[in-house]
Amino acid sequence: MPCEAMPRAAAPAPPPQPAPALSRPRSNQLWYAVVFAELNETQAQISLQRLCLHAQQFTSLVSIEMPNALLLEIKGSVKLFGSLGRLHADIDAVWRRLGLKAQSAAAPSTLAALWLARAGKQLLLEDPALLAGQLAALPLACTSWDAERLRTLSAMGVRNVGELLRLPRAGVARRFAPGMVLDLDIALARHAAPRRAFVPRERFRARRDFEMEIENVAYLETAVAPLIERCARFLRERQAGIQSLELRLRHRVGPATRVRLGLASSTGELRRLMDVVRQKLCRLELAAAVREVALISGSLQPLVAAPLDAFSHGGGAGGRDTAPQLVERLRARLGEGTVYGVRLIAEHRPEAAWRRVHELRLSAAVRGNEKPARPAADHEMPRPVWLLGEPVQLCGPLLLEQGPERIESGWWDGKGIARDYYIAHQVQDSRRTRGARLWVFQERQSRCWYVHGVFA
Amino acid sequence: MSRETISLADILADARVWKLKDASAAPPRPVWSTGKSSLDARLPGGGWPTASLVEVLIDDTGLGEVQLFLPALVASQRRTDGETPWLVWIAPPHEPFAPALSQQGIDLGRLLVVRPASAMEALWAAEQTLSSGVCAAVLLWLKGTDDRWLRRLKLAAEAGGALCVLFRPERHRFESSPATLRLVMTQGEHAPHLELIKVKGGLPGPVA
Repeated sequence: MPCEAMPRAAAPAPPPQPAPALSRPRSNQLWYAVVFAELNETQAQISLQRLCLHAQQFTSLVSIEMPNALLLEIKGSVKLFGSLGRLHADIDAVWRRLGLKAQSAAAPSTLAALWLARAGKQLLLEDPALLAGQLAALPLACTSWDAERLRTLSAMGVRNVGELLRLPRAGVARRFAPGMVLDLDIALARHAAPRRAFVPRERFRARRDFEMEIENVAYLETAVAPLIERCARFLRERQAGIQSLELRLRHRVGPATRVRLGLASSTGELRRLMDVVRQKLCRLELAAAVREVALISGSLQPLVAAPLDAFSHGGGAGGRDTAPQLVERLRARLGEGTVYGVRLIAEHRPEAAWRRVHELRLSAAVRGNEKPARPAADHEMPRPVWLLGEPVQLCGPLLLEQGPERIESGWWDGKGIARDYYIAHQVQDSRRTRGARLWVFQERQSRCWYVHGVFA
Repeated sequence: MSRETISLADILADARVWKLKDASAAPPRPVWSTGKSSLDARLPGGGWPTASLVEVLIDDTGLGEVQLFLPALVASQRRTDGETPWLVWIAPPHEPFAPALSQQGIDLGRLLVVRPASAMEALWAAEQTLSSGVCAAVLLWLKGTDDRWLRRLKLAAEAGGALCVLFRPERHRFESSPATLRLVMTQGEHAPHLELIKVKGGLPGPVA
C-alpha cells in the first residue's frame, strides 16, 4: 500500500486539555511583612523611610506599603541567617530595640504576608501549597479593600477569605472590581506582583567652624575649598554626581545666608564644583562675618561613564572649558534662568512650535536620538528669525510679498487660531524706502492685522 | 626749529599706519560664505572671516541682518572634528524662533541663548563664551560699548577660534573699532543698503 511507504505520520496530538481555571501556586519568593499598627499617620512616610534603612540590613529589597507596613523579600536571606525562625527573631529584635510594636508574618506572596501580618498571625509560611488553607480563615478586614465593598461582602454573608474564594470567580469580578480577583490571585501566588524597592536618598553634608570670623569673600573661598574637596571625594567613592548644592553661611547673629548653586549637568568633578562655587562667591555680599559654613549637596545621581580619555581635548588640564563648565560659569554669574536652549515642538501654532529648555544635553554621547536639523522643504513658507512674544496690532503701510499661508489649529484646547500669514515689508512713503520685513497675519474672524515675527 | 624730512620708509615703519598690501599678503584664513554673492565678492577670501570680530551697525531689526550670518552658522556647526560646536546668542532683541533656525539647518541642540541683565554682563558672557573654545560663533546685541571692551572681544575671538558678530546702533559708525570687518545696514529702495566701512585686506564702500 502506498500509505505504508510513507513515513508514519506523527501520532495525533491528544485533544487539548481544558486549561486549568487557576494555575497551581508557584513562587520562588518569600515575603516578610511588618505592620506597625501604632505608627503616627502624619509622619508615616518619613518614619517608614527611616525604618526601611533598618530593614535593609536583612535584604536589599525592602518596599514601603502605605500607610504603615514594610515588605521585605527574604528568600535569599534565609540561608544566610540559618533559618526563617532565626531571621524573624533578628528582624523582630530591631523593632523591639526601637520601641516599636510590630506584627509580622512571612509568606510566599506579598499580599498573603501582608494580610497575615495585619490579622496579627505570627505565621512563617514557606510552602506555597499551604497558602490557600492559611488564608481561608483570615477576616476580610485585613485586605484593606474599601469599606463599602467589605460591607457588601458581609451583607452577602462572606466573612473570610475562604468564603470569598468559594464564590464563582467570574461573578466576583463582575460584581466587584476585577482588581479584587487579581488581589486574590496575587495573595495565592498565582499572579506575579513586582514591588518597587526602596532606594535611600543620600546627600553629602559637612560643616566647618572657623577659628576666626571671616569677613572677606576671598577668604571664604579658601575656607570652603576643603569642604568641596571632601564632597568631590565622597561623590567619587560612590560613582555619583550632583546637580545642585547649597552653602549655609552662619553668622553670630541673624539667620544664616543660604547660597544655592546649580550645575548644568550632574557632576562629581572637583574642578567644576570649585569653579561654580568661586563664581558664585565672588559676587556675594556678606551681610555679616561668617562663623561657620555648612555644605549640603543635592540628591545623588549615578554618573554616566565619565570621560577618561587621556587624549581628549577640551576640559581637564588643557585649561580650556567643556560646554558644561561654560554653562555653569555663565549661570553662576548671570543667574539660573538666563542661559537656555530652544527646541522645536511639532505643532502648527507658531507660538507653541517652540519652547525654552534649561536642561541642556551637553555631551555628545547622549544625543544619538535627537532629530537632526530639518532642511527647508520647498513648499514651506520661510519662518522669521524673531518671533514676537505677543502679536502686535499692525500700524503703517505694508506691502505684501508672499502668502497667504493658512494656519488653523488648536480648536481642541481652547487656544484655537485661524490666521492667514503673509510675508510683508514696511513702506516708508516719505523716503520711498523699504523697511523691515515682517511676518504678519490677518485673523480670519476679526479681519484684524497683526505682526507676529521679524525677518532679521 | 629744525624741520625733519620724513621718508616714506619712516611712515611705513610707524605702527599707526596700516598697510593694505601686507594684510592681503597674509595667508588666507578659512571663511564662511555670507549667502549673498555680491557681498562675498567684496570680502577678502570670499566670506566672513573665522576667529575674528565682525561689527554690524544697524538701527532697526528686520533688514535681514541675522540672515547674513545664518549660512555661516550652519557651516560652522558642520566643521566637525568630533563634537558639534556651540552657537551662542547673547541678548537678542526678540526670542529666536526655533522653527526658522531649524528650517535653515541649524542644530538647535547646540544653540544657547543668554539673557544678561546689563551690557557689562553681556560683554563678560561674550568674552567667556568666545574664549571657551567650545563655541564656533557668538552673536551679541548691544546698545553701546567702548573701544577697550571691543579689543577684549577681538582677542577672545582670536584665542577661542570663534566668530564674534556684534550688532550695534548706527550712531557708533564714526567711533574707532578694532573689528576686522565693519558693516552698515540701512533701509534701501528695493533691498536693504549695505556698506562696508572697514575691511581688513579689502576695499571699503557700498555693496551693490
